[in-house]
Amino acid sequence: MARASTTSDIFNAIAEAHRREIMDALMAGEKAVGALVNDLSMPQPQVSKHLRVLSEVGLVRCRAEGRHRMYSLEPVRLRPLQDWLAKYEQAMNDRLDRMDDYLQELQRQGELQ
Amino acid sequence: MTPNRHGTAVIEFPSALEIVTTREFDAPIELVFDVLTKPEHVRNWFAPFEDTMTVCSIDLRVGGKYHMVFVTDDGTECSFRGTYLEIERPTRIVYTWLFEGWPDAEAVETVDLHEIDGVTKVKMNLAFRDQAGRDHMTKFDGQEDSWDKMEDYLRSLLDPNGAVSGS
Repeated sequence: MARASTTSDIFNAIAEAHRREIMDALMAGEKAVGALVNDLSMPQPQVSKHLRVLSEVGLVRCRAEGRHRMYSLEPVRLRPLQDWLAKYEQAMNDRLDRMDDYLQELQRQGELQ
Repeated sequence: MTPNRHGTAVIEFPSALEIVTTREFDAPIELVFDVLTKPEHVRNWFAPFEDTMTVCSIDLRVGGKYHMVFVTDDGTECSFRGTYLEIERPTRIVYTWLFEGWPDAEAVETVDLHEIDGVTKVKMNLAFRDQAGRDHMTKFDGQEDSWDKMEDYLRSLLDPNGAVSGS
């Protein structure tokens, strides 16, 4: 089966709550797997698995420091998602705000009758 | 006068295939249900301008179909259609959702309504059948944006409810 495009993989990667927790933990700065396991109380195989997914889509960068592998966030990779989400949020809010205004108008009219 | 709720929709991604939008309205649940499901009401809010809505037909019964078409300001016609799967007035509506530009992206939208003290919460869960369909929705157009708010944005994205930090 063909792999999904890289941009949609980013979406997929952040759709998983544990991966978002890992990214959140990495916002403070570069960390080793052990530190993430400690911070998040998540089993190491699980943390490693999620780090692999995040690395594959480029949201997380890895470098070796001695015997340790250090992970850090690559937020630049989230930009396409940011663009999409901003537009989607705007469009949804515009529509629901119109519905809200209309509901308020209907209720005002109802009070007048 | 109740505070204005503009811009308060909460958008979440509980899985790779779902987009959930939640919004509260200061109106009784029956009225919100009508405004969501009666064409004479939908015409007044669905499209950006009332006169751009060219088709708004709704056959609100299980197995019934709806079709909505509006024209955007650049002249593009947007056509949505689907079939009602469940209707439980005034708390729930489930229907298939198909945007005609994306014939392979059929989704199921579940709308749940819940009223507490005159405030009706509407939760819309748009669930795509597979990732190919969802990819249409989240297609990025690569437009350049400012970097200034990147970190704020990232924080809010990762932790929309303040629930993740410190866990």
